[in-house]
Amino acid sequence: MASAHSRMRCGEFRTTYQADMTIFPTPLARRVAIGSVLLLLLAPLVLNAYYLNLMIQIGYYGIAALGLNIVVGFTGQISLGHAAFFGLGAFTSAWISNNSGIPVFFTIPLAGMLTMAVGLIVGIPAGRIKGLYLAIATLASQYILEDFFARADWFTGGSSGAMAKPFSIFGHEMYTDQSFFYVVLFYVVVMFVAGANLMRSRDGRAFIAVRDHYLSAEIMGINLNKYRILSFGISSFYAGIGGALFGHYLGFVSVEGFTLVLSIQFLAMVIIGGLGSVMGAMFGTVFMVLLPEVMEFGVYLVGSDNTALTQALAYIKEMAIGLAIILFLIFEPDGLSHRWKMIKNYWKLYPFSY
Amino acid sequence: MRKALLCGTALMAVFGLATLAPAADTIPVGHLACYTGPTSDVGAPYGNGVADAMKYINENGGVAGKQLEYETVDYAYKAPQAIATYKNWVSGLKPVAIQGWGTADTEALVQFVARDEIPYFSASYSGHLTDPTGKSPKTKSPAPYNFFYGPSYSDTCRGLVQWAAEDWKAKGKKETPKFIHMGANHPYPNAPKDACAAYAKELGFEVLNPIVYDLKPGDAKAQCLTLKDSGANYAYLGNTAGSNISLLNSCGTVGAKPQFLANVWGWDENSIKAAQESGDGVAVPLGSPSWKEDAPGMKTVRAIAKVSDPTGDTYRNLHYMRGVCSVFYMKDAMIAADKMKGGITGPNIKKGMEQMVNHVPAGLEGVCLPSTWTGEDHRGTTSVQVYTTTYNGGDFKFNKQSTIDVPRRDDWLGW
Repeated sequence: MASAHSRMRCGEFRTTYQADMTIFPTPLARRVAIGSVLLLLLAPLVLNAYYLNLMIQIGYYGIAALGLNIVVGFTGQISLGHAAFFGLGAFTSAWISNNSGIPVFFTIPLAGMLTMAVGLIVGIPAGRIKGLYLAIATLASQYILEDFFARADWFTGGSSGAMAKPFSIFGHEMYTDQSFFYVVLFYVVVMFVAGANLMRSRDGRAFIAVRDHYLSAEIMGINLNKYRILSFGISSFYAGIGGALFGHYLGFVSVEGFTLVLSIQFLAMVIIGGLGSVMGAMFGTVFMVLLPEVMEFGVYLVGSDNTALTQALAYIKEMAIGLAIILFLIFEPDGLSHRWKMIKNYWKLYPFSY
Repeated sequence: MRKALLCGTALMAVFGLATLAPAADTIPVGHLACYTGPTSDVGAPYGNGVADAMKYINENGGVAGKQLEYETVDYAYKAPQAIATYKNWVSGLKPVAIQGWGTADTEALVQFVARDEIPYFSASYSGHLTDPTGKSPKTKSPAPYNFFYGPSYSDTCRGLVQWAAEDWKAKGKKETPKFIHMGANHPYPNAPKDACAAYAKELGFEVLNPIVYDLKPGDAKAQCLTLKDSGANYAYLGNTAGSNISLLNSCGTVGAKPQFLANVWGWDENSIKAAQESGDGVAVPLGSPSWKEDAPGMKTVRAIAKVSDPTGDTYRNLHYMRGVCSVFYMKDAMIAADKMKGGITGPNIKKGMEQMVNHVPAGLEGVCLPSTWTGEDHRGTTSVQVYTTTYNGGDFKFNKQSTIDVPRRDDWLGW
């Protein structure tokens, strides 16, 4: 009987540079990736709305987190304004679909484009400043956009927020979790494959060079300004797509959803998941979305009759996120994707690990 | 209940079932509460009132023999969180009615509850929720499934302004009085802004530029200096009590002393104690008797309060009573719906609400104001009872000023 081992090669022999740059490191990894997407296609038939809701959340946050990982993990910049771009995508898509009659199917990529344009502008300081100074500059963009959302009645509905139409394709509206799941899955696959591909390209390698040592990169002929700003642009595109999906899923977009806290949560996702890893963005998002749910489940298991405990639940959730970030920084600074690699290596050498 | 739901969800996932059907002999009700977040100071007593009342109903035979299966979720005053909870409920709990809270989330949910036909009893008294058909030219979108107990924010503010005009005359002042709206840039304080300013103008006030102060309590001296410079005589406070306490303290410090007119959530027993001298004389609309008063219906309220505090010693403030009223109007509508074809469903509860004429729930006489809802007008009542508060070193008093029946003008519907 053919075991998994016989289908997995006993080593990775890369004899060409092309082989070193494939999206999936091994054929098994490729098969697993395709297989899990196929399995996910069946999910709406099996899972109830609660689980689908969590998976949809993971989907749109994951896309945005990958965007942030491109700017933070791959290019070595810092952004504290990612939530504002996420919000901009949501408002833009809602605004276009409400005011122009363009179906939501097209407004989502349009929102991504517009968010990217704004991201390119906001990224301009990144060409000039680094580190803490850049952190403060992006913080400013977070506040400017947030204030804009709260006041621009024509665009966002002001503090009351805006309604977002359900996703529609050929006049067919998809507002149930079951159908919207496929929309999100489609975007997750496209955006993650694109993200993985980007890192294999000339531009992706330039990002990494800028991150690793900007002086050497410049000496090698990489235009630092161009790549730093481009990285912000691409990151905003991802945030815009994620935000637009969020808006059309919820059906309502309000400025309250896109505060600095969400920006920090995106940062936490990429740190926990693993800086500079495409899959890490997804791992981190899964962790951050499920953590509060697990805490809630835990609290109700321990004492559903204990009112003090259930009323403290909101605080327990917040504290758990803080604690998780600290614990990861101490014990696993390379994030979940590194842990995942270790697990794979363990099984690769099993049972003769040294 | 929540545990059962969660375990049930987990089990069903294991067995791969797709739906979570509620048991047939219970009435599923959602309860969105604000126990944390910027309005929790008044959200907690109101939420406790709602929860205690539902528990009390269950302990006393339920509604038409059926138990209320309610689920309380604290959404921390975040509208997106409220919408997400609502979506979860629609696919899981499948509520036939919802007890809600804030203006931002209630107004955002208007179209959702209309589509899903779920009557929504909010603690937001926004005037935008009062037009079920959308006929009024001022209405942005019709709100067929929205109900609330009490005069709308706009009508309350109109009542206060009318009282202010009388007060100005009684004081024998000749010059034009100045009115100012104060509140956060948030749907709740904004709801009555234009409507009330228009009426104030009609009554001969000079309306000044509004002042924005935060819903979260904090220092507001800058706003108070602006208020002082503006020379306003009457200032409407659009925020909740906690925020108003800090504003009044700041205004006391800088010496800005107009006659403050608080909205229904903006002033209560706790705030008088906290603001002390700075809060002396604030005018406030009361929608219920206070805890120590002896209205006939207070006996029921005290029995309800024992649900969460068996000693009955805890002082419950005004918001608690309003939470109880909101639940009991819903209960009476459910009883009416039970006798209709189809039983207790969303549309029938709506019909049950809309046939109430000067209705006071049994057992709550003197606590809940007589209210009337029709298929074309969801302004339950427009009667505003204006009180002022006096602080005298550790103790306080509510002084009744007058009851103002704001006219039910057609062009004010939905505004």
